Amino acid sequence: MIQKQGPDILCRWEGNPLIALEALPFSCSNIHNCAPIKYNDIYLLLLDVEDLKGHQLIYLAKSKDGYSFTIDETPLIRLRDIKGGRKSADIGVTDPRITFLEGIYYIIYMVDSNVGFRLALAKTKDFEKITHLGYISEPDTKGGALFPEKINGKYARLERPKDGGRIWISYSEDLIYWGASEVLLSPRPGYWDFNRVGCSVPPFRINSGEWMLVYYGIKSTSAGPLFRIGAAILDKDNPALVVKRTNIPILSPREDYERIGDINNLVFSCGAIVENNIFKLYYGAANSCICLGSTNIDNIVKHCTESEKEF
Amino acid sequence: MNRRRFAYGRDVFHRFEGNPIIMLEDIPFRANTVFNGAPVKKNGEYWILLRVEGQQGYSVFALARSRDGLRFTVEKEPVMMPAKKGIFAKYEKRGIEDPRITEIDGEYYLLYTAYSKFGARIALAKTEDLYYYERIALISEPGNKDGVLFPEKINGEYVRFDRPIGHGVGCIWVSYSKNLTDWGKSELVIGPRGGYWDSYRVGASIPPIKTKLGWLEIYHGVKMTSAGPIYRTGTVLLDLKNPAKVIARCEKSALSPREDYERVGDVGNVVFACGTIVEPDNEVKLYYGAADTCICVATASLSKIIDFTLGISETVGMDY
Repeated sequence: MIQKQGPDILCRWEGNPLIALEALPFSCSNIHNCAPIKYNDIYLLLLDVEDLKGHQLIYLAKSKDGYSFTIDETPLIRLRDIKGGRKSADIGVTDPRITFLEGIYYIIYMVDSNVGFRLALAKTKDFEKITHLGYISEPDTKGGALFPEKINGKYARLERPKDGGRIWISYSEDLIYWGASEVLLSPRPGYWDFNRVGCSVPPFRINSGEWMLVYYGIKSTSAGPLFRIGAAILDKDNPALVVKRTNIPILSPREDYERIGDINNLVFSCGAIVENNIFKLYYGAANSCICLGSTNIDNIVKHCTESEKEF
Repeated sequence: MNRRRFAYGRDVFHRFEGNPIIMLEDIPFRANTVFNGAPVKKNGEYWILLRVEGQQGYSVFALARSRDGLRFTVEKEPVMMPAKKGIFAKYEKRGIEDPRITEIDGEYYLLYTAYSKFGARIALAKTEDLYYYERIALISEPGNKDGVLFPEKINGEYVRFDRPIGHGVGCIWVSYSKNLTDWGKSELVIGPRGGYWDSYRVGASIPPIKTKLGWLEIYHGVKMTSAGPIYRTGTVLLDLKNPAKVIARCEKSALSPREDYERVGDVGNVVFACGTIVEPDNEVKLYYGAADTCICVATASLSKIIDFTLGISETVGMDY
């Protein structure tokens, strides 16, 4: 990847946007973001697409090199696939995040409705047949991501309850009943992540054995929110403890395709692929296209320092 | 309690003539207000776990006891304060609020709101004597309150109602648990009704009462006006096996702020119940906080509340 000089820690791929609206084999309103995974040497993306009615669906995209993707014509996850009470008027499925855990691919996604957004869980072995396990949160919760291993004998997840705009961690014996929720990461007044934070990439272990959390941070301006991406290092035994955190974002909206779209000034990610210590972030730009940025993991670690203040 | 002659046409619940039954003057320590108490009848005696707001601004729990359920004496010291140690201390920095007590198999479980800069969460504690409370777990994420525990398991699982807020809409939700600490399978139960007295927000008020027809939940409904919210009380009947299924919901409110002690206080126009005592003759004593400033009691027979909920009050023409 040719490095394009800029002030960000992540280098953008020169061929960005990776997937624009024109690449889709059907008409739709926009592409929000995606969850990447490497499956049997094939790069897969779960694309979060908004159709022309305004409802969100998740499509599968495949690639051999991680750059040029073919997109399925029918959605992989639709609202009507999900069982459960239909008292609320559900709007769509969005923000998938994939975690490989105990030999199975788990997908946490968000379901939006007239009474709030909630997290739901699905699992698959082959990205063809999906088993939906139902809702795993109350409203208003988003930014759900499973840890790829059990923590002290329990499944663990991150989530972003709306109240407070913080990242929380919860635990479960069975992935269905959740508890022991604790605050993990808070917004920092005065910083780029001033108003809200949420998980972007499901936590993964780095060489030191510690967890890396790549998260999004929002700063509200008079013209609307600025969505950026930063990183934190979590304790290797107890990921509820934040050891270090970037005081600056690793990626900020700067290019036209990040500045201009359905939601301006937005870079938002639901996952990354880590290969040979290279961190490849697939991210949605301006809620309108998919882009790619990358850097060395050590380069991110280097920028994770002691947070300058307690929040 | 004698029924007032002209109570007809007002509320389904009949107010006790001696209301308010607990006021600031009854609290033996300096405080700002007393409201939202959870009643328990134990060995023929009545107890209320009271929310008392201190003059600092945060709330603690005090205990009141009574022989007749009407005249109460408040213990000299609060029985539960915000935790000073451990995980609970972090989430109770701004106080503990709105207790609800449910008896399951002879043990008393307390759900309350733990309040901190991280938001309001539901917490669970246990007590045998109502004086000492053993904290068990924080059982919700922030932005959630009005947790009430069912008095028995359904399909082998503990059940609770709570009140998260989604897209700004406060609804009653049901969740299930095998161990009281981990919860899941959440479902919407009821939400606000446009144009009604409960058009802005609803939340569970009391631990549900089991009746032959279904679970009776007495809930609070809020209507927003240009001068602020009006907190009223309503009723809903829910399926015994699936409490997310509504059998009937009241059209009108069952108790509305009308008396001066309900209209005037720190938060005016509030009646807010946290529990009931169902007497052997099926009289329901509803204990409620009025205007966030005092505690009151009102009564109605269980059959009358159910008829009211089913909406057959006027057609049958019974004397309410």
